[in-house]
Amino acid sequence: MSQYKIIFTGPVGAGKTTAINSISDVPPIKTDASASDMTKSRKASTTVALDYGVMNLSGGEKLHLYGTPGQERFDFMWDILVTGGIGLVLLLDNTRADPFQDMKFFLDTFDKFITDTAVAIGVTQMDLSGKPTIDDYHLQLKVLGIKPPVFAVDARVKSDVSLLVQSLLYTLDPGLEE
Amino acid sequence: MDKSKSPLKVALHGMDGRSYKMMAMYLQGPCKGVAVVVNDNNAECDIFDADAFNAEKLLNERLQKSPHRPVIVISLTDRKLENVLYVKKPVKIEDMVAALSQAKKSLGLPAKQTSTQPAPATVNRSVPITPVSTDTHKTNDIQPTADKQALKKFVLDTDEQKKTSKHQAAMLLSEQGFGAFIGNVVGVDVNDPKQFAKATYNPKEYFQGYVESAIRLSYEKAQIRQLNSGWSPLVIFPHSNEVWLDADEKQLRAFAGLPISSSLVGKMSITPLSLESAVMNEALEKFHSVDAFLWKIACWASKGRYPGNIDIRHPVYLKNWPNFTRLLVTPHALRISALLIQGPRTLGNIAEVLNVKPQYVFVFVSAASSLGLAGQAKREVDVLVHTPDIKPNKNQGLLSRILSTLRGKKG
Repeated sequence: MSQYKIIFTGPVGAGKTTAINSISDVPPIKTDASASDMTKSRKASTTVALDYGVMNLSGGEKLHLYGTPGQERFDFMWDILVTGGIGLVLLLDNTRADPFQDMKFFLDTFDKFITDTAVAIGVTQMDLSGKPTIDDYHLQLKVLGIKPPVFAVDARVKSDVSLLVQSLLYTLDPGLEE
Repeated sequence: MDKSKSPLKVALHGMDGRSYKMMAMYLQGPCKGVAVVVNDNNAECDIFDADAFNAEKLLNERLQKSPHRPVIVISLTDRKLENVLYVKKPVKIEDMVAALSQAKKSLGLPAKQTSTQPAPATVNRSVPITPVSTDTHKTNDIQPTADKQALKKFVLDTDEQKKTSKHQAAMLLSEQGFGAFIGNVVGVDVNDPKQFAKATYNPKEYFQGYVESAIRLSYEKAQIRQLNSGWSPLVIFPHSNEVWLDADEKQLRAFAGLPISSSLVGKMSITPLSLESAVMNEALEKFHSVDAFLWKIACWASKGRYPGNIDIRHPVYLKNWPNFTRLLVTPHALRISALLIQGPRTLGNIAEVLNVKPQYVFVFVSAASSLGLAGQAKREVDVLVHTPDIKPNKNQGLLSRILSTLRGKKG
């Protein structure tokens, strides 16, 4: 049976682990550990390898949900992770110093994968920091020449994460029937 | 205002984004709001994390600039600092409350009584500032740009999370619920292509049009404005992209769904409002984001029709995806967006390609137009070139199964 997967990526603390938890049918396998490097300034523990969750589909198939480790020193794993993936969910933390820089970094890094598949962008922590706005993100993306879905997301809220993933699926095929 | 009841205004220094947030929430929650975080310029007191690598510099600058403003220092190590209140990490509620209370007293403000009995904070007035902790070089290595790159500062708005309507997750409207929630038009079958020409509405005849005008004016003038309508006044806050209305959804739906009667037209006016008069006593749960509010009232005015300024024979464009997690998601809205974002199409073509009732396309375009996201494509090429058919994804079966699983999961 084929292995299908969606990749969740984004900077440290953007909510990848939480988002996977929100839609996974099994408790996600987490590989968090005490932060010991630059992540220490942002959170007490961080994902040092990857997060993993599963959605059980009809017919016994499974959709695997992988979260990339936020730390750049694990970026060698990213290429391996995306192989065979059906799309990318990019989560950005709006309270970070420069979320646009984060966005560009991840869009560049996953450029080939996004070209082959699609990306949907979720902006987290907007209730704590309202700026930049979603419109500001679209302006930045316009410069990059792409028009992906960009939604305000609370990674703890299942419907937010679900809508973001749905937008990814419809981007891949608007003809999908509800 | 009774200052004894108001929280002490504090500015936080030497903290990264997360620590900053954590401290702001700590003051709001465990410390029962005895202090509130504000911008540096408005602060009555400063709190420094002395374990930050540049804390000494920041602290010295502050003491020189505002020698009479009380300073609280938090640190892992015992500190003996001149003219500052010291709270040892991990910060205990009673120590922090005591320090804040002393800071307030030193300003001549009566300290707020809380249920927590404050322990006296340590005040040292004789020993000069000592160097920061021995770990600082490590911190410096870890985040070498921290002193150069201004860490994003924000004031934790203690009220923001009480704006429940504003941060409400999306409501997903099914085909079955459409008629009951959005309403229907009497006398026109909006789904009959022969009647498409009649399936229009003029937003200007509805509350939608007046709200759009008021919002435009408020943003142009960068002023808080109130739209008076003979009904509940609508207050527009352009700087925070919010509106405030004292009405529940049912009342709003009824008002937005009917054309404004001629007797009410004369009562419509837009007046400027000062921040003080606009903010005081306003119920926070009645704040909405401008986009979510406009989107919703456009849906109710549309009732499955399209705006009269759209020519149904010509394509429409979608500038970018709407922020669906904070909007009313009408049936097939995600599919329509995904299709339309690829390039302009006529409304009829969208309905045909996606095999959906035209009313779902019409209501989506009405709502997206109200936010300026959709409009008539004006380029000749959009009219001349045949709209391509959509190519099914090679994994369509799988994607459909994922979709139905997601849709089965309620948030």
